[in-house]
Amino acid sequence: MAAVAAAGSGTPREEEGPGGEAAAPQPQAPTNAPGARLSRLPLARVKALVKADPDVTLAGQEAIFILARAAELFVETIAKDAYCCAQQGKRKTLQRRDLDNAIEAVDEFAFLEGTLD
Amino acid sequence: MAERPEDLNLPNAVITRIIKEALPDGVNISKEARSAISRAASVFVLYATSCANNFAMKGKRKTLNASDVLSAMEEMEFQRFVTPLKEALEAYRREQKGKKEASEQKKKDKDKKTDSEEQDKSRDEDNDEDEERLEEEEQNEEEEEVDN
Repeated sequence: MAAVAAAGSGTPREEEGPGGEAAAPQPQAPTNAPGARLSRLPLARVKALVKADPDVTLAGQEAIFILARAAELFVETIAKDAYCCAQQGKRKTLQRRDLDNAIEAVDEFAFLEGTLD
Repeated sequence: MAERPEDLNLPNAVITRIIKEALPDGVNISKEARSAISRAASVFVLYATSCANNFAMKGKRKTLNASDVLSAMEEMEFQRFVTPLKEALEAYRREQKGKKEASEQKKKDKDKKTDSEEQDKSRDEDNDEDEERLEEEEQNEEEEEVDN
């Protein structure tokens, strides 16, 4: 009965937007609330970066989590800004030079100058 | 770990996914650009950590906390991150609370059954417990390592 109903509804479950959750493996435990991808970056790696700073003594879990989330926001932001440059060149592939342009153009990215080489 | 901080990259797959979801469909990214963004993210974390640490030291604290990081964001002129970060923090705190209550409940149940045998068995169990343990271990680590 259920199979017939499913066949009858026709189109497979198609989600709007890029990718969606279908392909993404869920490393999180099932105890989490559904769809609560709070941070995609592994906290252990972020923590390793934090500990690399000789002046840092300790960092709380919440701090690590927020840093991870901030890093994600940063990646989104810089990707979008770099894309604006690529669009002007009518290209559909982001190149390294788009990133360099974004870094030069946006004040907030000034701290990156000279660090990516 | 005797690695340079710049070498501590975040996983490529995750970075790529974040980038792709931020950009419109059909837009691609070259390998060089992606790895540059990945490095930029690492630099960002290092810079934010340093800023946050300044705030912690001002408050005469040795442990970085969430508000230090938020203050660092403002200092770095990423104020627009502050609101979404605060929301994420709320959600994270709720989740942690839920996890803690769940694991406390499990502990209570285990105490009711047997002692050591059950504990040894639970160690080999699923990954989700592993994650909790990781967090606990990390906390212990933090307490042990006083100087880097």
